[in-house]
Amino acid sequence: MKQRTQIVILLVALYVVLPFLLKGNTYVMSILVASLTIAGVALAWALLGNLGGMVSFGHAAFFGVGSYISAIVTMKLGVPIFAAILMGGFGATIASIAVLPALRLSGPYFALAILAYAHIFKILATEFTSVTGGAGGLLGIPPLPTLLGFNFGSKLGAYLVIITIILVFAFIYARIRGSYYGFALRAMHESEDATRVVGVNSTLLKALMLFLSAFMTGVVGAFNAHYINFLEPDYAFHIGWTMLPLVAAIFGGYRTLSGPLIGAVVVYTVDQLVFKSLIPSGHQIMLGVLLGIIILFAPDGLIPLLKKTVRRVRQTGKCRPPQTDATC
Amino acid sequence: MIELILQSLYSGLLSGGSYALIALGLALVFGTMKIINLAHGEMVLLAAYMAYLMESKLTLSPILAIPLALVVSCLVAVAIYFLLSRISKNRELNSLILTFGIGIILTNAILIIWSADIHSTSSPGFQEPVVLGPLFSMRSELGFFGVSIVLVAALWWWLSRSWYGRALRAVSSNRDAAKLMGINPHRTEVVSFVVAGILASFAGVALYCTSVIQPSLGSSLTSKAFIITVLAGIGSIPGVLVGAILIGIAEAMTVTLYSSALQELTSMVLFLLVLFVLPNGLFGAAGRRG
Repeated sequence: MKQRTQIVILLVALYVVLPFLLKGNTYVMSILVASLTIAGVALAWALLGNLGGMVSFGHAAFFGVGSYISAIVTMKLGVPIFAAILMGGFGATIASIAVLPALRLSGPYFALAILAYAHIFKILATEFTSVTGGAGGLLGIPPLPTLLGFNFGSKLGAYLVIITIILVFAFIYARIRGSYYGFALRAMHESEDATRVVGVNSTLLKALMLFLSAFMTGVVGAFNAHYINFLEPDYAFHIGWTMLPLVAAIFGGYRTLSGPLIGAVVVYTVDQLVFKSLIPSGHQIMLGVLLGIIILFAPDGLIPLLKKTVRRVRQTGKCRPPQTDATC
Repeated sequence: MIELILQSLYSGLLSGGSYALIALGLALVFGTMKIINLAHGEMVLLAAYMAYLMESKLTLSPILAIPLALVVSCLVAVAIYFLLSRISKNRELNSLILTFGIGIILTNAILIIWSADIHSTSSPGFQEPVVLGPLFSMRSELGFFGVSIVLVAALWWWLSRSWYGRALRAVSSNRDAAKLMGINPHRTEVVSFVVAGILASFAGVALYCTSVIQPSLGSSLTSKAFIITVLAGIGSIPGVLVGAILIGIAEAMTVTLYSSALQELTSMVLFLLVLFVLPNGLFGAAGRRG
């Protein structure tokens, strides 16, 4: 019951209070939407990393494929935009089928094989000029539409769309994590061989996580294509679409649900507002520093660290008053 | 047509030799410590920028930058080792992420210091043509190839014959047993990182003499080096040379027969093919990798 009220408060804050407060400030809204785009990819990345146990350096591939498919089906076939965004997600899933052989590889090999896929998809997008417009890119991608009298093409509309996408994905993530499959996936981290022995089809589960992660990334990429109305291979498959979500997820703690989301908003906002004004070109150096600090000093990420600290403070707080009491 | 193919085989051979030198440091650290140093390409690039610094500020030959490049690369290599040794858990993946972060730092540091401009050597001596019968190349390409062959041989000798090389292989195969034999594992691992730094500095200076450099080059150097390491198989130094030449020739043939835009695609496809079909590489010791 307590959890349910928390969720209601969160929803009211995200859908009513926050838009109402920030509606007038276009700059803050655009930063918020961009950071939530990163948050969506970070969540998908963390799903693969946490449940699937696979660290990826190639999520830019799924992001790019999703954005291109959605842009192309709306521009060339006239598909309605929200349907096209879903198709972008399915397109990224289909692209991830090509990545399936890489599931045989463990840890670092998977991470780097998927990096190779990102390169390959980028080259293909550049070379298939007739479909993708080549290096010149696609201009005039239709913006998010007006539905039921509400213009989703505005900053506020885009915010509502992306926050809905993220909440739906977070819900799916939470359900999977709590299910039998989530249990099996967690057991797989401990020992994949042992999990296989008790009858879990680990390869199938990992493949499903890969499909789902690719789908989520593709949907977010498709949203972004209609939000900024422009695509080119160097942008859609940019290493930044892998790097920022990776830093964000690890910063927040990729084993938690809220970590990647909070991490993305914090990292992106600080990067844009602070680092960029301090170091106009090369501000990403701070992301590298951040990544190093987190890996060295808090490899579980910030959210677990904060939780631990809060718990410790509470415990010592409880202990302090009855210092003479032996039961403490 | 035959001449064209011969020429592209020759160019592929030469550029393959240069790839070998770029990959050598990564292959060494990977082979001995099972750590993929994703900042290796950036180390090479940093050395190349030292050569640029020497040429542009002091108007000296970039080759004279080698001592400076050695100092800088080795310092960076030792710093990376020091940071890596502080990782407390899940060393395999966290070292990957940490070196990825160090790569971001180095790339952006280069960007901040030298801006995003493209640089190449201004000494005309390097670009003079060398004609071998029907085959053409630049003087600097031949030089790069020669240095590469010498350093591959030197590294192979060092790893298989010298005391430190043997100690390094001992630590990599059984750390505890090596300790009992009186080997200090930390010291041998630092030495392997320093040697990787030395190799990177030679590679960087040679890179500046033969082609153009820019800040974003680092990550593509790293991925090329990693592809070659996988192709060679872990721990095989001669394999690095063979794998690099294969990649070089495959790329040159793609450019000659299809288009230069697909050059990068060739090495990526080759990489995936080797990972899936021959997971131990061409010369790697047997053992499960995937």
